[in-house]
Amino acid sequence: MSRALPGLAVWVAALALAWLLPGHLWHAARPAPFPLEALGPASLALGLMAALPPLLVYFAGPSLARRRSLSALEAPPDLAWALLLLALWPAAAGPPGWTAWTAALLAASLPSEARWLASALPPESPFPQAWGAQAARASRRRSLARLLPRWLAARLPLWLTASLVVERVFGLPGLGSDWMARVIARDHRGLALWILAFALLWIAARPLEREAA
Amino acid sequence: MKRLWPLLLLPALLLPELALDPFRGGAPADLHHWLGTDALGRDALLRLLLASARAAGFASLCATAALALAWLLALSGASARSALSALRAAPALLWLIPLAALSGGLERPVLAPLIALLLAPHLEAPLRVKAEALRRSPAWAVTRIQGATGPRRLIAWAPWAAREASSLFPSAWLGALWTEVTLSALGLGPGPQTDTFGRLLMEDLPKLATGATSAWAALFAVLALAWGLSFPEPAP
Repeated sequence: MSRALPGLAVWVAALALAWLLPGHLWHAARPAPFPLEALGPASLALGLMAALPPLLVYFAGPSLARRRSLSALEAPPDLAWALLLLALWPAAAGPPGWTAWTAALLAASLPSEARWLASALPPESPFPQAWGAQAARASRRRSLARLLPRWLAARLPLWLTASLVVERVFGLPGLGSDWMARVIARDHRGLALWILAFALLWIAARPLEREAA
Repeated sequence: MKRLWPLLLLPALLLPELALDPFRGGAPADLHHWLGTDALGRDALLRLLLASARAAGFASLCATAALALAWLLALSGASARSALSALRAAPALLWLIPLAALSGGLERPVLAPLIALLLAPHLEAPLRVKAEALRRSPAWAVTRIQGATGPRRLIAWAPWAAREASSLFPSAWLGALWTEVTLSALGLGPGPQTDTFGRLLMEDLPKLATGATSAWAALFAVLALAWGLSFPEPAP
């Protein structure tokens, strides 16, 4: 517990900063309503993000982390994927909405998530590879089951950042934009809740760091 | 060392802005302007080259500062590690966006130290692993037995530290590059008096649908910058 104290102090400082956010608006601004309509697409995207990289890593194994093709897909930023999709979006399909947002988010995040998971898997050579493919898959399954909750907790803030960028490109009010809109409107309570959510995610992801050390 | 080529683009930060000539804006490509001119009359090719070189130079500056800071953090005691872990919990951009929104945009002299500060905790963890391995090695013990003081030992090991840091340079550079580019594309970077690569991408990439040459050139520049360091280091 004492080891976590400086980290907790950082979160308390961030909470205090959110609560005492400086500056006043010259006009009265009501905090933006929480984008409830974004919860559906966000849950779908989260489900896909939570399912696809582990599946990919389960079938491809830890060697996936060393694939150059994956690195090549990982290198361009979220912004480039979103702008590319915006440019190639067929005009007949109307303005890009949540479907395009989900596609851009997946394109931007899947390669890095798959690499993250693949590099966190234990090596399979010489064992369990020598015991056969079934043993290797069983080992992968167990490792992935152990990694999954902490991987989700560690990576959610990153997805929120990617979501914010994609939302801004497509002009959609989503969870990422909500964070920014609350800063602009100086919504102290809403911001404090966001910081609290980040702090809880950090606490949930802590055991992973201990294992890595 | 070949992965450090973006450092050569540092002087690009000192280059002046291109002159505006709105009466010649939107001109098609010809022999003088290979990609035509933008809405404000600037040569599109020159603008693209200047903006991407500046973005690369700026990212080099931030990455170098972040790596130096990360080494200092890695060599410091264990007391602040949990604080660094808390700072690592969210990507740099997630902290920078509200900060930039609060201050109405961040100019490069302010943005550079902020990016370095926010990237350093992410780079500290791998450097700490290397520093701890060195501390446990006989080579480190020998220098202590020979009577070298703390600063002398640090100076003696500085080339090794630089070599180890250079292996992390590509990921630090890409992190700094896309942070600045995304921030300026969202309109939260430097003011309108400074042209940025992010703003150029926001203007040009959506034109891909119309087949504009400048849009394809912008896409090529993104991929060249993204893959220019022969891809990020694959995980061991």
